[in-house]
Formats: sequence, structure tokens, C-alpha cells
Amino acid sequence: MHIQTNKKTGSLRAAALFLPLAMGLVAPTVAQEDEDPADEWFVLQGGDVYTGTGAVLRGASVLSKNGKIAEIGYDLYIPEEAEILDVAGYRVYPGLVAIESRGLFGGSSDLANSVDPFSKNMVLALSAGVTTARSGSEVAKLRAGHIDGLVLTSGVLPGLSYSKSNPSGKRTLRQKFEAAVRYLEAYAQWEIDKKSDKDLKEPSDKGVDSSILRYVRGEARPVFSASTRTDLLEIARLAQRFGFRPIINGCQEGWIVADELGRAGASAIITARDRSTKSEQLVRTGGSSIENAAILHRAGVSVTIIPGSAGISLGGIVGRDLMHLTVEAGFAVRGGLSEKAALDGITIEPARLLGVEARVGSIEVGKDADMIVTDGDILHYQTFVQWAVVSGEVVYDKEAELFFAHIRPRPEGSLSPEERVDAGETADEEIEEDSDDSDPPEESGEEAGDEGDGDSRP
Amino acid sequence: MLIPLLLAWTPTPVPQAIPDLPDLYALKASVLETGTGEVIEHAVLLVEGGKVITVGEDLVVERGIPIYELEPNQVVMPGLVNAYTRVGVTGSGPSGVQPWMHASDELYPAAGEYAKAREAGVTTLGHYPSGNGIPGRSVVVRPKGASADAMTLKDDAYLKIIMSSSKSAKGSLSGGFKNADSWLEKEAKNKEKWDKAKEKFDEEDDEEKKKKLDPGPYKPIKEDPKAASFMELRDGSLTALISVRTAGDYLHLIDAIGEEKFSWDLRVVMTRDMNIYHVIEKVADSGRRVVLEPEISLHPGTMRQRNLPAEFARAGTPLVLVPRNDSVSGFEAWRRHVGEIVASGLERSVAIRAITMEPAALLGVGDRVGSLEAGKDANILILSGDPLEPGTQVDAVILEGALVSGEVNL
Repeated sequence: MHIQTNKKTGSLRAAALFLPLAMGLVAPTVAQEDEDPADEWFVLQGGDVYTGTGAVLRGASVLSKNGKIAEIGYDLYIPEEAEILDVAGYRVYPGLVAIESRGLFGGSSDLANSVDPFSKNMVLALSAGVTTARSGSEVAKLRAGHIDGLVLTSGVLPGLSYSKSNPSGKRTLRQKFEAAVRYLEAYAQWEIDKKSDKDLKEPSDKGVDSSILRYVRGEARPVFSASTRTDLLEIARLAQRFGFRPIINGCQEGWIVADELGRAGASAIITARDRSTKSEQLVRTGGSSIENAAILHRAGVSVTIIPGSAGISLGGIVGRDLMHLTVEAGFAVRGGLSEKAALDGITIEPARLLGVEARVGSIEVGKDADMIVTDGDILHYQTFVQWAVVSGEVVYDKEAELFFAHIRPRPEGSLSPEERVDAGETADEEIEEDSDDSDPPEESGEEAGDEGDGDSRP
Repeated sequence: MLIPLLLAWTPTPVPQAIPDLPDLYALKASVLETGTGEVIEHAVLLVEGGKVITVGEDLVVERGIPIYELEPNQVVMPGLVNAYTRVGVTGSGPSGVQPWMHASDELYPAAGEYAKAREAGVTTLGHYPSGNGIPGRSVVVRPKGASADAMTLKDDAYLKIIMSSSKSAKGSLSGGFKNADSWLEKEAKNKEKWDKAKEKFDEEDDEEKKKKLDPGPYKPIKEDPKAASFMELRDGSLTALISVRTAGDYLHLIDAIGEEKFSWDLRVVMTRDMNIYHVIEKVADSGRRVVLEPEISLHPGTMRQRNLPAEFARAGTPLVLVPRNDSVSGFEAWRRHVGEIVASGLERSVAIRAITMEPAALLGVGDRVGSLEAGKDANILILSGDPLEPGTQVDAVILEGALVSGEVNL
């Protein structure tokens, strides 16, 4: 937790109070000594900040400087030139992280040179709260309107296959691991022996798979696509034998072997609504379960959640694409996963698997100012993302984009100062009229009491 | 059955003998659009030797100078300048980075389209080279003359560059400058080597040895046409017209240009789901001209109409409007289409400039054509009414002082 209150501001306030008395004696100093006029400040003011680290700060503010979170808390010193977004009555969450995505960035590979920062799908993904996504082997931020500062890392989630449908492949992989371990053992022995015998030759890493070596050393984690009990058990055994932590994509029957996966230090990427029926020829337990995420999480498997389709789909039945990442997490909650773990499963857990947890995935000082502002519980199906902030800049405003502006429009007082797409006079009037009879956004059960909405705002 | 019938119905064009205008004459019109956005009423325009001598309101014309008094409904304006066309030229250019290619090599003076272009009031055409990537340089022609040379007003007008959101397109621009840099570096090394040899030669006193050391006259390294083109861009002797489709393309263009300084304008390709409006402010701040069609587009995903030319103009971008269709019929409908976007919000004076003065400036021939001002070519249209009203006909076209279409009565 990096929550600070600005003590300096407090003293400044006191100084201001007594200023008429102390004129000439106490000259107010510049509150923040390292203030640079070129710095870009942005404040999300007065929201209920769900930091993603377990803490919730009601009516707190998040100050970001040049795209990074500088301070979180109350009574912050806010530089004069800071852009302020008043989000009182709304919730602030870390921007969501999609472990997989398709077609969000317009471009193909090499996003830095091919991204379309105005692509419709990017806006739609932002409307669903996604601010970071993996595309192929690259991890990028949804910095709508910018082509710089986009790619966080690349070469993520290296894949491996270890399945009973390919027995010879299994053997080959096992042998590769054995070779890697033998090499590491020989190397460790050499390091000891060379102290007494300086001419001893360094063991050769010839024939040792360099990526397998990285897994065994713990420098990277391989991803297996596996769902059946048998495969999951085999992967767990392989992982324990060679001492690496597998990531398992799919993991439908994981709930059956959750303990084994937990002991192997596995992470699972699951779709809560995945369905598969048990093979009728088998006596033992099988098939999918809505409780999968919950059971895995209880067993110590870190759970990352992704919807059935990782693209933006505007056809067919609504609710299965990346725009419903939070809904998918909600289904995991239905299966017994705690709300905290469900939020982690779409924020910090995928960030960890992608190796970008130092930049995104939670609201902490020093991390990127990637946040979303919602009008309710993020896991509730009725909740809308009102604003998405990436690198300390509003990149999505529900009222400014065409897609959801007409559904439960924000009361006028809470309109973002930014110009809207078609800020004609008539549009303003319409919104005013609508807001008069618009119902406050429904809250999800227990939170309804202490959660305000736009109507209660000044 | 049908074809012979149609043929029979096609009226055969009767070659009209167009009477020559004298070398020195005056035109009197109730309304004259200068092309700069200014409108002169009761205008008098004095032409001599194919050039505009003077233009103004109620000027007194010296006795003896023939005066052509136009009908009260008739309007005079400068000949239209189409800065971005391939009507009249044929051929398909190769793809890739070929900045040394010339559209002028594709000129075919006998092309029938030139006469039609004249009749539609287009007196200056900027032909761009065909092809993808960086296909080459454009040429400015007037629609008259029997040879390519006689037609050409200016060669090497703008270098056409097609930009897209891709590594290869960005690389061909930034790489072009890098290539020029490495050529200059090689050349500098070559020169240094020769300088050293020369020094040695100069220092040597022994005649016998001196003969052996003679480096001869300086020979620069082999010219690289690609590098040369990018050096021309840098030193300002060549400008660029860079084509983009989306707002994203524009950002990638700015990224590809980086710190490089050169003169360029922007061509925006009108597509169905235009999203260029995202960068209108950025484009306006850059001060570049924008070349696009006078067309109402739809806001992506909606049926809401957007007048992008008007939005660009309001943001302060100098506008160049080109016909919606690059064809003779497109030329004929051009003024009407411009009128349509004026009716839906584009400022009228901006619209007139966008088909006369601005395209002339874009082509680098602003000192010769595009407006009716003293010293400029006498490229004059006589219209049956307001240039932007539908139904207004071109009554006569004067190209460099000579009547090339229609008639003018004394």
C-alpha cells in the first residue's frame, strides 16, 4: 500500500489561515519544490477508490503526474494547472487487463508502427474497462488517440504443449527439461569445482533448449493449453518434477485436480462460463463447473479470467466477447469466487502473467495512471464505465462516444469538461431533459446504501 | 441493334471556329471573383499579352481598347485549378519508393480530355504520378499545346507520398532521409580521401613522384536518385503531398517525419467511415494544406452527416478541393459539388479559394495562376451566374488571354 496524505499541504493550509497575521513573517513557499511547468497533472477527485490491493478509500483522490500515479489519498496538494475530473459518487478501479485480445489495435503485429489509435474496437474495449491487453506476443495499453507509449512489453506467454494426444511430443519435452536440468546441475557443480581446479572446462549448453532453460531457472513461465484432468495432472507433475510454475489456459477440469495444480504453483486462465460435458464412459468426476474459478483459487491457483471470445463482437448473442470481461468475472463470483479475487483475475493477475505488474493492474503510487471510473460495482452487469483514464489522460468518456451515451446519461453537472463529439446546443438541451427524469443507476444490492450516483452530486 | 441506334443519335461535334481575342482588351463584368476570396462589383479587367494588367472596380478604360461588356448575369472568375488529377494521363506506375519518377513522362498532349477539361473551366491541371509508396513527382500543365513541353507549366511540382499505418510505409519516408544521410556521409568521406591525396600531391616537390601522386580532378561518388530526391525535400526545392486515409495514419506520419523539416501538404482520401476528424486540430496547428473532395461524409457507425471540408476550414486549415470523380464529368460537376458543401456550412470565400488560389499555391504556380490579379496569367472563366449555384454554365473560357471555349461578344 502506498497511501500518503500530504502533510505539507496541511501546513500550507494553516499558513494560509494565519496569513493576514503573519504577513511578512511567513512567506508561503512553493508547495512542491520540484514542480515543473511542463509536468502534466491529472486528478480523479473524490471517488471511491478501489485500489485493487484490498483497500477501498471512500471519497479519495488520485493524483497523477506525467501519466504515473503520484499520490492517493485525501486533502492532496493539487497543482494549479492540474486537470481535475470530479468523480464524487463514482467508483475508481484499476484499468482492466485482458490476457488475450483480438482486433483492438487496428494493426497486426508491430503495434508501435501499425496501431490505429482511433479504432472503434479500442473505444469499445475501453468502454468495457480494458486499458491493457495482450495482442499476439505484445502487451499494449489502449492509449486511444496516441501512437506512443503504447507497447509495454513483447514476447510474452511462450507456449508449450504437453498432452496425452501427442505422446511422442510429451517425451521430447520431458527430455528437453531433463537436459536443461542436467546442464544446470553440471554448471552448479562446475562453479564449486573450479575453485579448486581453475582449468576445469565450463559445461557446454549445446543441445539445451534455451527457453526451457529459462523456465527451469524461473525467468519465464510457459503456457499450456489444457483442459482435461489427465493433461492437467501430467502438467502439474512435470512442473513439480522440474521446478517451474506452469500457466494453464482453459483448465476446464481444473476444479477436479485443484490441489495438485495448487501444489505445482500453477496459474489458470479460465472462462467461467466454459462448458464441457463429462465423458459418459468414465466413472470418475469430469466436465466443467461454474465453481472452477472458486475451487482453483481456494487451492492456491492464481486465477485470470477471460471471456470465451477475446475479440469485440457486435453480432450474435451479446455477452461473450471482450466487452464482457467484467461479466465473465461476475460469473466466477456466481460460482463462489470472492469479489476481490474476481477483480484480481481481470487486473493484477493477468498483469503478473504478462510481466507488466510493475506498471499496471492496481492503483498504487508509481504505477501508470490507468484507471476506470464506474457508476457502480465493476462486477455488476448494469454498471457502466463512465471514464477510462490511460497514462493520466481521459481516453474514454461515455458521454462523448456514441455507443452508450444514450443509456442512462450522466446528469449535466457531471459532464466532463472536454468537448463532446457533437457538442451542439441541442445536444446539451437533450441531456438536460433526460437527466430530469433519469433514474439513478441501480446499485448491486449491499452497496446501494453507501454508493451515491450522479444525482446526489452538487 | 442498340449500338448503331445510339451511334446514330450521337450528335457529331461541329468544329467551331473560335474567334481570336485581340492582344489588348478589357472585360467589363457586373461581378468578378478574384480567386483570393474577394468579390469585385462593376469590375473591369484589362488583359494584354495573355496577362492580367489590372483589375478593379469601375476602372476607366483608355479609348481605343476594345471592351467586352458582359451580360449583367454573367460572373467572371479565374480558371479552375485541379491540383490532383490523372485525367489526360494514362499509364500505371510501379509500386515502391521511386521519388525520381515524373508524371511529366506520362503526358500525352493529344489526349481528348484536355479539350473537355477546358470546356469545364479547368485551366490548370496538376497531374500526380500513379503507383503506390512514393511514386514520384507531379507535373503542372495547361490544357493546351501540341507537345509535352508546350503544355508544361511546371515540372517537379510535388512529390507524392502515400502513408499508411505500417512499418513499410513509415520506413520508406524515414528511411529515405536516412538513405540521404548515408549518401552524404559516403560523399564526405570520398571528398576527404581526395583532399588528403591532393594535399600530399601539393606538398610533394619532386616532379617524378608528383606525377604518381596526382589524384586527378575530384570525382564525386555515384549519384543516388533516391537520396537526391530526399535532399531536394530538405533544401526546399521539392515539396511533398502526403496521402493518408485515417487519423491514425496521420499520427504515424508525424511519427515517421520525426525531427525532419521539409515542406509538405496533406491529401486526405475520402472513405466511407472517415475518422480523420480526430486530428483536425492537429492538422490545423501544423499549417499544412489539406486536399480533399467536396463531399459530405457520415460519422462512423451513424447516419449523421459531417462536413469535413468545413470542419477543416473552421479549424484554420487552408483547403484545396478537388473534383469528387477524377473524370471529365467530375470536372463538370465540380463547382456544383463545392456549392453543396457551401450550402451546408463551408464559408463561400474559402470554397472559391479552394478551387483557384490554394491549389495553385499547392502546385507552386501561385505566382502565375489561381487568381485574377495584375501580372498573373489571364485564365478567365465567364459563367452564366454564381459559380457555385447549380445550373450555372461556363459561357466562355479564356486561357492565357486567348479564347479557348465559348464566345465573348463585343
